Amino acid sequence: MSKRKTKYSIERKKAQWGWIFVAPSLIVFAIFNFYPIFNAFYTSLFKKKLLSLKAPTFIGLHNYAYLLNSPDFWNSIRATVVFTIGTFIPLLIFSLLFAVLIMSRKRFQKFFQMAYYSPAVLSSVVAAAIWLIIFDPRGLANQWVNLMMNTPGIDHKWLANSIMVQLSTMLVYGWKYVGYFTIIFIVGLASIPKSIYEAARIDGGNQWKNFWYITLPLLKPTTILVSIMSMLQCLKTFSTQYLFTQGGAPLAPINVITMNVYHTAIRDHRIGRASAMSIILFIIMLFFTWVQFRSSRADEISY
Amino acid sequence: MSQKLQLNRIKKRGLFQQYNIFELLVWVFLIITALFVLAPTIFMFTASFMPANDILKMPFRWIPKSFYWQNFWQGIRGNNGSFIYVRNILNSLIVAAVVSATTVFFSALAGFGLAKYYFKGRNMVFMFIMATMMIPFEAIMIPLYLVTTKLGLQDSYAGLIVPFLVNAFGIFLMRQYFITFPDEILDAARIDGAGEWMIFRTIILPNSIPAIATLAILTFKAQWDNLLWPLLVVQSEEMKTIPLYIVKFMAEKHTDEGAMMAVAAIASIPILIVFFKLSKYFLGGAAIYSSRKG
Amino acid sequence: MKKLLTFFLFVLFLIMTVNTVNAVEITFWTHEDPNRTEIENRYIMEFEKANPGVTVKRVTNSSTKIQELVLTAFAANQGPDIFNMSIEDEYAYIVNERLAPIDFEAAGYPSLQAVYDAYVPGVLDPVTYKGNLYGLPLELTNWCLYLNKKVFRDVGLDPEKDYPKTWEEMVEVSDKIAIRDGEILSRRGFDFRYPYYLVSMVPMVEQLGGKLISDDGKTAIVNDEAWLKFLKFMQEWGPNGKILGSPTYANARKLFNKDNNDIGMCLTGLYQQGRIRNDNPDFYNSGEWMVVPFPVFEDAVKDVPAAYYGHYYMVNGQKPIENQKMAWKLIAYMLSHGEEYLTKVNIVIPTVKLMESETYKSMPYSKVFADDMAKGHVVYYAESSAEIQSLIREAVESVMLAGTSPEDALKTLKRKAQEVLEEG
Repeated sequence: MSKRKTKYSIERKKAQWGWIFVAPSLIVFAIFNFYPIFNAFYTSLFKKKLLSLKAPTFIGLHNYAYLLNSPDFWNSIRATVVFTIGTFIPLLIFSLLFAVLIMSRKRFQKFFQMAYYSPAVLSSVVAAAIWLIIFDPRGLANQWVNLMMNTPGIDHKWLANSIMVQLSTMLVYGWKYVGYFTIIFIVGLASIPKSIYEAARIDGGNQWKNFWYITLPLLKPTTILVSIMSMLQCLKTFSTQYLFTQGGAPLAPINVITMNVYHTAIRDHRIGRASAMSIILFIIMLFFTWVQFRSSRADEISY
Repeated sequence: MSQKLQLNRIKKRGLFQQYNIFELLVWVFLIITALFVLAPTIFMFTASFMPANDILKMPFRWIPKSFYWQNFWQGIRGNNGSFIYVRNILNSLIVAAVVSATTVFFSALAGFGLAKYYFKGRNMVFMFIMATMMIPFEAIMIPLYLVTTKLGLQDSYAGLIVPFLVNAFGIFLMRQYFITFPDEILDAARIDGAGEWMIFRTIILPNSIPAIATLAILTFKAQWDNLLWPLLVVQSEEMKTIPLYIVKFMAEKHTDEGAMMAVAAIASIPILIVFFKLSKYFLGGAAIYSSRKG
Repeated sequence: MKKLLTFFLFVLFLIMTVNTVNAVEITFWTHEDPNRTEIENRYIMEFEKANPGVTVKRVTNSSTKIQELVLTAFAANQGPDIFNMSIEDEYAYIVNERLAPIDFEAAGYPSLQAVYDAYVPGVLDPVTYKGNLYGLPLELTNWCLYLNKKVFRDVGLDPEKDYPKTWEEMVEVSDKIAIRDGEILSRRGFDFRYPYYLVSMVPMVEQLGGKLISDDGKTAIVNDEAWLKFLKFMQEWGPNGKILGSPTYANARKLFNKDNNDIGMCLTGLYQQGRIRNDNPDFYNSGEWMVVPFPVFEDAVKDVPAAYYGHYYMVNGQKPIENQKMAWKLIAYMLSHGEEYLTKVNIVIPTVKLMESETYKSMPYSKVFADDMAKGHVVYYAESSAEIQSLIREAVESVMLAGTSPEDALKTLKRKAQEVLEEG
């Protein structure tokens, strides 16, 4: 039944099929992603309390003005930024370091990759449960640090001191994801053709120079990818901080934006304000994702 | 080329002279850090075999005196003896498996559509889909909850599954993979009279196992781990998933660390087994993401 | 023949629809308590037998999670028929008119006044709003000091004589009992019940003459000096002071039952006895524990014990009338078993009948609890009490753990609490 189709109608048919294929996903997104975010933005323009049966009052951008003037919200921004920067920089450095060291080993590469990756496989609730016990004053963290620094009996207050508790959350997060980013770097390293190193060797380079002048620059797109990805992950962090505060840790030092949203909505019932907070977070993340898209497009490496 | 040179060098000079101090230090560093990274997981398993009182004794004994199975019994039994943990594990399995399946299916569909079909507005659609990745879940959790309850889906499998039927990362992954799929095969099939749907089913899907497996595993793991959404949508004991059970257990018996670790161990063993057997998909998943170039 | 068949089917159909019209399903959400679950499940079975067509679905959740669950359910207009929480968490539902007022007939009372007469005067006030009654108490609880006699004797103290009567003595005694390895506590004397600041710590401020809200309801945090003294005391208690305890250690009340030589005293209610009996019958029967009143500061201006709080069973006002009626009937039926609640669960349903019964009077240490409750007042309840409590938590945590000065913490607390009060 081969009808003679003109090129035009084949294209049209294919185009239709294109839409058909993407349609189901678009419907799901429309209902469960786009509608909620618009709804959240709409709600953020009102003063609304979760239990109230009365109609919410329209206050325009007042929620945003309140938040931008609220020391509590700025504390959340501070907590989130500190957490993000304090996590992604060591994450970047260590994952790059591990990737380079592992790849320069001739054996046991898979063992190390799996060992470093394994914490990412555990659920974040499990990780928090384990670390809560480790950070208990009588737990492993104190024991090991005291052993290594020869300071018996000192409580480093992993969950009590406001600076330490932030450090603790960064430590847990870094522990969980260092393997994941190590793998990304390994792939990035593997994609650098050996021929470049050969050329360098012929030109008389040594290992250190190779690394600094060849490897590192060629890894720039991967580095940027890792940075942005880890930053976005960190901006969204919730479970670790939530579970630590449930376990007794102080709220203020680690009151990241996501947790603030959760508490403002669920504990304080102020859903208008919570929505505004989450829209602000959304804009921050939009910004970073835009940066990522821009940079990964700009840095197309050609050998 | 250089590998061969190295091998020759080893043969000539002997293995030990190959390693200088620097190399040794690197090995030591790698091994020690690997131990640090593995320690908490090992701790979880060790502690799950110890009675709670022993866990926080200083100093910590890495090898338990005996295998205190009561922790596992207590963990599975639950604090009210209802053994609901078994049901919760089942729930997590069902939800994770179904979400994996739907995500793979819908992502493959959409990824295929975006990769191999040219239609007006294709780029816009792709951008929109990518934009959903930037929406933090907390921003939409309350409206999403209200939508879900309006549809009457709260406290049910449907409610746990439906918001996650498909996600942008999956579509991205599939699209990346399909872009490299040779067009000639598809055109040949069309000439033979195959419809688009049949092409998808019989050609694309069977030949995309690596990408499908990777996506399936990553999605499964993400759903297994999901805390925030079930926290909102689940209202009864029976519909809880594993993370909710752990949170509840933590709140009630905060001081029975042994049982707590047993619960955690039980929750982790399935996913760890999958990890060991299918590690290439986990490690590959990260690789696929990194190979994207815009 | 066909006509007969159709007739039969029609009658069957009628019977079925009539039955489904009568079928009422009551969802009942409450918090975890194995002892109470046992007896309430039995009451439910009896109730279902006596009221065919009614099924009851009882669900328990941890006491921290249940607030969120009930909240999110109601926010989606899908709340349960019956639920209970502590009054300071429940009050918002009353004020937002989500509840059904009592159907006293269904509950078995001849009039509304009869309900009030059956209960201890004052206990129904928190759930009375605009002339209607919105809840019946499941328990009225106050906290006193439990102590482990063995731990006391271990440091050479006589528990009957040397128990702390003032907070200053509490510091001394806890210091004696504490076993430390450097800065790390492996045994504590006493530790506070940290998340519950409104119940256990606001009274300490009131002992010093301070107030949470002024009498006219307009100002938050009254009497700076009292609040400062309290904050200083907490700072001294914590890891940056005398190292006697901290919110990051395991909950004292949960450790107490184990009798594991890691805690000497804790703050909890009459119901704890049932838990001790459950968890550790040897400890319970050995009599090696006792209860003493809530300590008072040396220079206190008022003798204020820990505040008492109540859990009230409430009924969802958005459900059909049939559901509401049956819900109130079930609640009244369950609560009529006051003595069993007391003996099996150790919770006090504050009816006049129960308080005067021999059963209550013969409960171990019930007099200590009753005396303290008579001196005390109900916990602060208002629409935003949860928010206020989290502000107090922030203040205490900042001085105990973050090294903030009490003056700064107080300034922040005043500003924020005033804001919450004014915003409503």
